[in-house]
Order: sequence, then C-alpha cells, then structure tokens
Amino acid sequence: MASSSPPPAQAPVLSPPNPPRPQQLPQPLPVAAVKSEVPVAEPRDPPASVSSIPLEPSPAAVAASYTITIPSCSGWFSWDQIHDTERRVLSEFFDGKSASKNPGVYKYYRDSIIRRFRGNPSRKITFTDARRGLVGDVGSIRRVFDFLEEWGLINYTPLAKPSAKKGEMGDDSEKKETPRRICSHCKSSCNMACFTTDKADIILCARCFVRGDYRPGLSSTDFKRVDITEETKADWTDKETIHLLEAILQYGDDWKKVAEHVGTKSEIDCVARFIKLPFGEQFLGPEEVGEYGKPHQKNDKVVTVPEGENVPEQSLSKRMRLTPLADASNPIMAQVAFLSAMVGSDVAKAVAQAAISSLHKVDIAGGISASDDRLQSAASNGAKEEEAVAASNGQTSSDVLNEAVAEAQSQLKKEEQDVEQYLSDVVQVQMKEIQDKIVHFEELELLLEKERLQLRHMKDLLFADQLAIMQHKMQLLSKGNEKGEKVKQTNHVP
Amino acid sequence: MRSFHPGASKAPMKFRMPTAENFVPIRLDLDIDGQRFKDAFTWNPNDPDSEVNNFAKRTVKDLKLPPTFVTQIAQSIQTQLAEFHSYEGQEMHIKEKIVPLKIDLRVNNTVIRDQFLWDISNLESDPEEFARTFCKDLDIGDPEVGPAIAVSIREQLYEIATQSISSARETRVGKKGRRGADIVANSFVFCSKAGNTVDLGKLFGSKGSVIRKRKEWYLYEPIVDILSNEEVGALDAREELNARLKRKLDEKEESFQTRYSHG
Repeated sequence: MASSSPPPAQAPVLSPPNPPRPQQLPQPLPVAAVKSEVPVAEPRDPPASVSSIPLEPSPAAVAASYTITIPSCSGWFSWDQIHDTERRVLSEFFDGKSASKNPGVYKYYRDSIIRRFRGNPSRKITFTDARRGLVGDVGSIRRVFDFLEEWGLINYTPLAKPSAKKGEMGDDSEKKETPRRICSHCKSSCNMACFTTDKADIILCARCFVRGDYRPGLSSTDFKRVDITEETKADWTDKETIHLLEAILQYGDDWKKVAEHVGTKSEIDCVARFIKLPFGEQFLGPEEVGEYGKPHQKNDKVVTVPEGENVPEQSLSKRMRLTPLADASNPIMAQVAFLSAMVGSDVAKAVAQAAISSLHKVDIAGGISASDDRLQSAASNGAKEEEAVAASNGQTSSDVLNEAVAEAQSQLKKEEQDVEQYLSDVVQVQMKEIQDKIVHFEELELLLEKERLQLRHMKDLLFADQLAIMQHKMQLLSKGNEKGEKVKQTNHVP
Repeated sequence: MRSFHPGASKAPMKFRMPTAENFVPIRLDLDIDGQRFKDAFTWNPNDPDSEVNNFAKRTVKDLKLPPTFVTQIAQSIQTQLAEFHSYEGQEMHIKEKIVPLKIDLRVNNTVIRDQFLWDISNLESDPEEFARTFCKDLDIGDPEVGPAIAVSIREQLYEIATQSISSARETRVGKKGRRGADIVANSFVFCSKAGNTVDLGKLFGSKGSVIRKRKEWYLYEPIVDILSNEEVGALDAREELNARLKRKLDEKEESFQTRYSHG
C-alpha cells in the first residue's frame, strides 16, 4: 500500500533515540518532502547518557507513538553528529575563537531545543521558551534556534507550505484522489450524497436534486444517487482493490460493471486506480489493446502496436494523468482520449493513422469524415501528450493478479527487513548505553584507586609517626631507667 | 593554567568581565499599565544594536505582551549595555582574589542556596559552564534554573569588577537603582561585597590543606528545595508587595532628592 497511496506524511518510520540517518523511502512521488521519525523512549531512561540536561520532570510515559516529521532537506540530522551544514551556518561555535563557544556547547543547545520541541510537538516552541531554558548568551541561542527553525528541525508541520526556504523541495503537489463533488448547479461541495446522471454528466447536491432544477431533458429518474460519505475517502483499501481486480477479471473492460462491483468508487476512479496499480513490466500486446472496442479498428493496426511496448516499459514508475478529454460527455471520445493517453503518443498517432486509413476504406457518408476529424484531433492530442503510461491495460487479468501477489510479497519482505533494521538499531543503542556506563565506572574506579593510594600513604605516615613515638618513648624510658639507676646508685653509696 | 605569583598585584587591565566570555548580565523589571514583566539573561555586548530591537520584538511576540513593551524592553537593555560600555574604557585592578559567591534564588518551584569560592583573577572562568554542571549534577528538573544561576554569578562578578575600577568610587553612589538589592520575583540575589576574600597564602601554604575542614562542609553544600505551588504563590505575593512598597519609597526619595539637591 505504501507505494501506491500518496499521503503527505509517509508511514512512520520507527527509530531509536539515536536515529541514524533516516533513509529516504524509495518513492518517486513529487511530494517526497517529508520524512517521519518516531522518538521512541526518548525521556524514558534516567541512566541514559544521551540526554545531558533532563527536561522538566514530565512523566516518561509521554514518549508515546506520535510522529515527528522533518523535511527531507534536513535528513542529515543525527543526534550523535554535527553535520557540515551546521558547521557552516553556525561557524561561531567551530572556529575556536572563543573558549566557551565550542561544538559541545552547540550540541547542548541544539539537542536541548529539539528535545524540548519534541516533548510537545503539537505546540510551536518559541525562542523565548528556548532561551529561558538554556544557559548561555541569548545571541548565540537565537542563532541556533533560527537555524533549527529554518531547516525544519523544530516547529515544522508538514501541512504548512513553506514559503521561501532554501533547499526545500518544491511545492507539495499532492495528487488528490478524492472526488470532491461540487454541485454543478449551486457550486457548493456536496457532503452527504450527490446525485449524478450519466446523460449529462451533471452532479447535483441533494438540495438541488430535491428542488428539481435540472436541465430540460432530464428527469428525476435519470439521476443516480451516490453516497459521498463513503466515497470521500480517496484511499483505496485493500478490499476495494481486490474487488477491482476481481471485477476486471470478470467483466473485462466494462467499467460500469466494474465500478458496480467495487461499489464505492466511480467508473473513472476504478479506471484511474487500475492504471495506477504498479504492475509488472509485461505488457501483453496487441490483442489487449484491440479488446478495448475501438469500433472502427481492424487488425492491420496490430502491427504498429508492438512499437509502443517499449515506451510503456520505460515509464512504469510514472503515474498517468487522465487526459482532459476523459471527462468529456461523449463516451467514444472519452475512450479514445483515454486509450491514446495510455499507450503513448507515438502509438496513439500510429493507431489513429491506421484507424483513419481503415475508415477511409469504408465509404460511409460525411459523418465519417467528421469523426475522422475528431480522430485526428485525438491523435494530435495524443501526440501532445507527454506522459507515457504504465501499460497495465495490455495485460491479461490473471497476470494482473499475479503481479499484485508478487508485489505484496516484496512489500512483506521489505517490512521484515525494516523491522530487522530497527531491532539492530535498538540493540546498538543499548550497547552504547552499556559502554557509557562502563566508561563511567572506569572513571569511578580510577578515583577510588587514587583514594586508596592516598589512604595508604596516610597509613604509612601514621605508621612512621607511631614509630617515632615508640622511639621517643623508648628513649624516654631508657633515660628514665638510667636516671633511676643513677638514683639507686647514689642511694646505695651513702 | 596560569602560574601563581603570590602577592603580585596585577597590572591594570582594561575593564572586562573576568570570565572567558565578556558577556553582560541583563535584568529586566518593567511595569507598564499594571502588567509586570521580569526577566534576566546573558547578553553578548558585541552583538549589533539591531539585535536588541529584534530581541525585544521577538520576546513581546512570544510572550504575547502588549506592544508597548517593545520599546521599553529595548530601552532597558540599551541602558544596561551602555552602562557596561561606559566602563569599558577604564582600567581595573584585579588582585589575586578568591571571593565567595552566593546563590540564593527561587526559580518557579525550585529554591537554590549555595555558596562557593570563585577566583576573580581567572579570566577563563565560565559561569555558564558552572551553571550547566550544577544543574546536571544536582539533577535539577526545571531548565530555567540554569540560566538564573549563570546570571546571578555574572551579576556578582560584574559587581566585583566594577568595584575594582580605579574611578569607581564616585559612581557608586549613583548605582542605586541598578541591581544590588533589587528584588525580583523569580530570583533573589545576595551580592557578596568585595570584602571577605580568602587569603590564598594561608590556604595553600605548607600548613594548610586544600581539603576543607569537615565542620565547614555544611556551609558550602548546595541546597536544592522544591516548593509546593501554595508556597510559591505565597512567596510571589509577598515579593510583589515588597517590590511595590520599595518602589513607592524610591519614588518618594527621588522626589526628595530632586527637591533638595540644587546645590
């Protein structure tokens, strides 16, 4: 599903507290302007050596599963490193001119600000918030803050269109698949249900339908009710896609029946979806193209079609835009325009030429020449068409299903790989934690060792002192003894 | 590490903050139309003047203050910066002094009291680094405590530096309204006057020991307290009252001075 639906923020990518450079999702969408990171367990571990200054003592349970998006131009950001961009823009921290403006301080500012923002990503963090919580001079903090804000690392909401930011990818040109039904009569968007008629391609909101302001020639029975509440979801669920494929298998090119089978999608949606499904390279050739009921075609046209095979193969990854004529009320024109857009300009031209030549062979009345002109204009339209197309129409339906299965399998594999990757990242982070702890303990040991040495030294001193005292005592004792003896002697004498 | 020359009086040098970075502590305390705004932060005096205005605008925008604050904030900052710059041309004499600095702050719910010795003559000292490690070591949750400590240290150092200017004698009288005893709601700073210096010779001589006497440990131990919200409310109210009274007194005194100081 990931590769076919174009949501603005792509599927959240799990990443550990120290995400390595987040990978770009390999999608050729013109959107590709955002990438998601889930900050797993960021404030969870108190012994984490990662966070230098703890945030306000908010409960660690905040680290839930929300997503943080940053623009892809800031994909270089990583908690562990300082990128060249940062060095270049905020050179004051890296030129060594001042002792207290060093990369460590920069990292402290950067990490604290980003963490603070991510602690409450729904709210934009103001510069005053940031600088009140950071130790340092407000000028440097302001520069770091402005840098982070400009590069979308903080205060970035993916829905906000960036006005004029350097390095950011162009406009988010999302393709909206939702058929926003605008009532042709009152020009307001229909929300609950709308009524549509095939006869005139008019959509009316419920109110207008009830009021009865149709064009003359239409009656209320011509209108078909279409419920929008289901339809406004443009995302094709798996169920719908399966229905679609089944229906195509069963009904072939009868898009009306296919749409009915799918249920909640209109014909045009079904066709558009079918084309967009990323099917394989194979493009069964000529017979399939012939199936699509070009009423005037003959088999001599078949030869020219294989030339067109290469074109669709090259352009598999591109998406097709429905031609403007596809909505034309004339169903034949719609078909022609649709097919000519699908098979590519060269093929369409060749086909049209062949059709014209075969038409000329049949000498019908002037009406044919009118349709000639129309076909020719269709051909020229096709020639103007610049987008080639994934050749899904050329395939048989069984191939279609096979391709879907293969695609599902490949996606499954990708998911598995991703999960493995994330697990290994988590393990890496744990290892790092342990390593840091080890370093810390080593330092402690060193300190203890020093203390022990000191203690021993003091013990030695003490011992020396004790010895000194002992000696002293001995001396005194011996002196005393001598004196005693002398006294005895003197006592004896008399 | 600079070599230690006991007793050598330093040659006079140009005034600057005795820290690695020559940053100025700025304190704002404005009351406009009954709305009070207090703030304190560190400013780099080498930043261009446009920064002051931008900062004022940004702060007012971020805190959703009425726009009248912009000019007031900018003016207050400019005044303090101008004062700092006015000292810059002069000479100061820094002796080899180790002074005790005191921290006595209340920031939101956290109360910090601490006392430690600081080497004034160490021109590589870094109050910001000190504040950061302080908060990290004591596991202080509120991130606003760090900057408050750094500003407090800087203010005390600034005080000491200005006092060591040779021509500082006369200007001291006029320093009334600046900092010193200014009571600010979120921090309460006792400046240590430049007395009380520690005699280096005695400490580091042969008879002394670098290790502090055990009985003095309690004096130098930092105290961190977390207050409950009611206590915070009560303290805030009391400080507001004090500030208001003080302001009234100041105004009275000023009017008294202007009336009688014609000579």
